[in-house]
Amino acid sequence: MQLTISNLLPVYFEKSRTQTSEVWGKEIVWQKGELIKIVAPSGSGKSSLINFLYGMRKDFDGAIRYDQQDIRNMNPEQLAPLRKDHVSIVFQDLRLFPHQTVAENLEIKRQLNPFHSPEKVLEMTERLGIGTKMNSLAKTCSYGEQQRVAIIRALLQPFDFLLLDEPFSHLDDRNSQNAMQLILEEAKARNASIVLADLERIEFFPYTRLFHL
Amino acid sequence: MAVSFKPIQPLLQTGTNAASRWFSYIGLGVGVLLLLCSIQMFINIQQLLKEGSIRKNGFDYISITKSVTNETMGQPEKNLFSQVELDELKAQPFIEDVSPLLPNDFRVKLSAGSVLAFSTDMFLETLDNDFIDTLPPSFTWQEGQYNIPIILSSDFFEIYNVFAPGQGLPQISRETAMGIPVQIICEGNGLTETFTGKIVAFSDRVNSVLVPKNFLLWSNKTFGKGANVQASRVFVKTKDANNTELLKFVDQKNYKLNKDKTLLGRNKMVIQGIFSGLGIFGLLVVLLALMLFSFYLQLVIARSKDSLQLLLTLGYSPSWLSRNVARIFVPVYIVVVIAALAFTQLMQWSFHHFVMYDREELSTPLHWVTLLTAVVLIVLSIITNHRLVRSLLNKLHTN
Repeated sequence: MQLTISNLLPVYFEKSRTQTSEVWGKEIVWQKGELIKIVAPSGSGKSSLINFLYGMRKDFDGAIRYDQQDIRNMNPEQLAPLRKDHVSIVFQDLRLFPHQTVAENLEIKRQLNPFHSPEKVLEMTERLGIGTKMNSLAKTCSYGEQQRVAIIRALLQPFDFLLLDEPFSHLDDRNSQNAMQLILEEAKARNASIVLADLERIEFFPYTRLFHL
Repeated sequence: MAVSFKPIQPLLQTGTNAASRWFSYIGLGVGVLLLLCSIQMFINIQQLLKEGSIRKNGFDYISITKSVTNETMGQPEKNLFSQVELDELKAQPFIEDVSPLLPNDFRVKLSAGSVLAFSTDMFLETLDNDFIDTLPPSFTWQEGQYNIPIILSSDFFEIYNVFAPGQGLPQISRETAMGIPVQIICEGNGLTETFTGKIVAFSDRVNSVLVPKNFLLWSNKTFGKGANVQASRVFVKTKDANNTELLKFVDQKNYKLNKDKTLLGRNKMVIQGIFSGLGIFGLLVVLLALMLFSFYLQLVIARSKDSLQLLLTLGYSPSWLSRNVARIFVPVYIVVVIAALAFTQLMQWSFHHFVMYDREELSTPLHWVTLLTAVVLIVLSIITNHRLVRSLLNKLHTN
């Protein structure tokens, strides 16, 4: 699968943005397996971009295509299999079910299209240091713990593209690197591409392409 | 592996507003019960009133006369049926056929001859053969024939047997009466002719003395005044003498029917009206309950909005989700309708057993139309419920 971005610009951005940005207003093709880093200072439209790529919002000009399929023309019924089988995401605001336990949060995602066994899920949580939190309600976990749950949840399905929106904002360096390592391994196992958008350069992400938003 | 709804179900806040949920369940149950009971009673009435009238070939035959009032007294033309009126009767969709009872237009005297010292002025009438309930093959006449076959009303015969002893006359059996030849003396236009009449049958339907049509037409021409003879009585052939349309038409025309045959029909009109009203009321209650339920459903979905939205974001398909959310309520609908159906069955059993004393026209098991209505109600509520959930979820997605 390849991801094509053509002349993309949020409708609420001025045209002049296209002159300074390496993404807005450009023609870009991302292939499976590429590690893409998008450096985006506050207000440059980082979350907008991730939301556009995941089909959450359509208030943009230009086009986003997964292979030949224009995401703008996809109805909710067509978006579901794209999200279930091809594109996974870690939101900046995490979006867990607050009243469900960590285990339930993970299972709701896993059962949709299981890539890992429940045992493997447990192993992943232990690796990121939240193994003991499985039976805690998500809302009682710290932001850092919730962020790790959101990361693991994104890794439980098959995907060609993994969209990460400030995935380590609540984690210390050691936990961030730990999580990054897991993400890289999982992407490699699927020969998938990672699109990581963050405020600044993250040194431990071995990107193959770099864009300034 | 199929996706399981089990981990999803707790995300729906169905427990909230239990009161409104139970109100809608009860409302739905009461509405469905009213509707089913009304339909069943409607059918019961139809079945009960199908019987109770004299039928031939599946048709009812009833006589219609005009009401003689103080205003129309002495104006025979107002009390007789004109050809236009006969045609109008015939044109009604609920009337299959019409036959006027044509009377004699001359003087007729009846005497038992030498057998009994009995003589009276009387009348003769004729009716199309098709309208006569007891029609023997001998009921024919040819010009020149002096024997006239007669069909006598059973009621008239009974009346004779009632007054005969007081008059010093013998009471006679039907068989004897059919064996006694009577003299029919026709007078008019200066002619007098004596015929021999013989009773060939008794009629329960026609209160008259019937002779073959061609005889009466001939004798009216021979002895009558020559005027066009009009009938004051008309027999109509109808599928159902208790047809409410027929009764309405007759009332509107100010005609008179023989009452006992249509008494049931008049009651039927009132009772059916009551049950139609009750049925409509039941339908309204069902609609109200479904509306209340849809509000409850909207509330559940609004309260679970964040969770449902997140599920769609995670890649759950809207149609799968709406199907499964709607499915939660399917057992509720089925239980409610089946409970109402059980109560309706109980009502039917009590009605049949205690009110109708197990009459054969009715059956204790519910009529298939009632059962079908219950099934249709279940299917309808499931479909509307599913569509409502899907449209609510689609709205979530576009928000």
